[in-house]
Amino acid sequence: MKLELDEHGHLDSLLHQWEPKYKLVGLMGLILAFSFVQDPRLLPAMLAITLALYALSRLPLSFLIARLRYPGFFLLIVAILLPFLSGSTVLLRVGPLALRQEGCLDLLLIVSKFVSILTLSLILFGTAPFLDIIKAMRSLGLPLVLADMTLLTYRYIYEIGDDLERMKTAMGLRGFHARYLGGRVLRVLASLAGSVLVRSYERSERVYKAMVLRGYGQPTRPSEEPRSRFRDLAWLFAFLLLAAGFIAAEIVLRQGQG
Amino acid sequence: MHIPDGILPAAVCFGGYATTGAITWYSLRKINQKDDPREGIPKASLLTAAFFVASWIHIPIPPTSVHLVLNGLLGVVLGYYAFPAILIGLFFQAVMFQHGGLTTLGVNATMMGMPALLAYYLFRLRNVLGRKGDRLGRKDDRLGDRKDRPYQALTGIFGFLAGAGGLGIAALIAVALLITTIPTHLDAEAERASIYALTLAHVPLMVIEGAFTALVVLFLQRVSPELLGD
Repeated sequence: MKLELDEHGHLDSLLHQWEPKYKLVGLMGLILAFSFVQDPRLLPAMLAITLALYALSRLPLSFLIARLRYPGFFLLIVAILLPFLSGSTVLLRVGPLALRQEGCLDLLLIVSKFVSILTLSLILFGTAPFLDIIKAMRSLGLPLVLADMTLLTYRYIYEIGDDLERMKTAMGLRGFHARYLGGRVLRVLASLAGSVLVRSYERSERVYKAMVLRGYGQPTRPSEEPRSRFRDLAWLFAFLLLAAGFIAAEIVLRQGQG
Repeated sequence: MHIPDGILPAAVCFGGYATTGAITWYSLRKINQKDDPREGIPKASLLTAAFFVASWIHIPIPPTSVHLVLNGLLGVVLGYYAFPAILIGLFFQAVMFQHGGLTTLGVNATMMGMPALLAYYLFRLRNVLGRKGDRLGRKDDRLGDRKDRPYQALTGIFGFLAGAGGLGIAALIAVALLITTIPTHLDAEAERASIYALTLAHVPLMVIEGAFTALVVLFLQRVSPELLGD
């Protein structure tokens, strides 16, 4: 199960060139503004901007589709339930089922926001190496403990995942197959989970010693922050303006309705 | 049980980030009170990765299977590192698997992490209730020795409570949040009924999660008791 976060971090596009610190602030601003939207009239603009940014990022379409597949299951449930359960204005009646207008609008709103926010977060994490994004978060005030933990966790997830796969294969070869829920099956699976924890714990002690030998915990020379270019700031300004525009439009439209 | 992007109103997302900020601050303060806070970082990080991986283990419930949340167990093992660990785990779930989301990261972290901290406090009661003499004598005793049994039973019971409680509280928060804040046009009576129904539907899962946690905790006590802070 290899799902590298930054497999397209090496590409070259305007969004790739944007300094990660400003990109983080700009895109998060836009994401939060999108989550603020409740009026269906803003959805076309939101989707258009999302698509334009994705095209600008030069990330392959297959990347987006592959990432949308998993949460698609959840969307399907919402899509099946909402139009029939929510609201009072009936658009269409088929036997005992009634398609309701409010439910359809709710569905449209939830799906559009979901797709837009997810696409923007893919752009954010797909257009820069992961290490650079953590550095950017650190320079924006992410506590040291969290930054170190995030990087170390990222470093070891796949290795521990491989450990689990190996142990599962070994269990299978020795005749264990979890086909039903019973006391023995649960006990064996609990021992498997426990073994993953114990192995990781023992490995962490070796990792810590190796890190100390390489100078972990010693004061380091502050790395030089890259100088902000005018273009980075201009992009940031444009994104924040766009985000503010969405929030203002939402407020105006809400007041117009009220 | 992660709430995805686009569902919750912005105000709830901000609220989630505010509570997550506060609990993270509290956890980090507790962590920084240690002599060398950096010493625990590799342990907590690798265990975070291990919990992330252990949640891929599927429990068969024919004709389907479920995966466990393990937030109660995480609280028991990681203590004050549990909340940052859950925050980081959920962050990776959101950006790697699109499970959960960036705007709902705060809400999800509070929903999973607060019960984990409560599970940690609950599990510590085991040491208060376990008789001191038992605990001191335990290391010299052979496993399964009579003297050791009450302590083992206590570990199992508190493991169960931590696991079942961790999931139960998280499910209650999730269901309540989803039903009261989704911008749908359901009436209040239907909302309340669905909250009760969906929470009750989690009871069998709580039992499985509790039993699994108790078994893992007993395994750890046998194999590597220092992981439980013994």
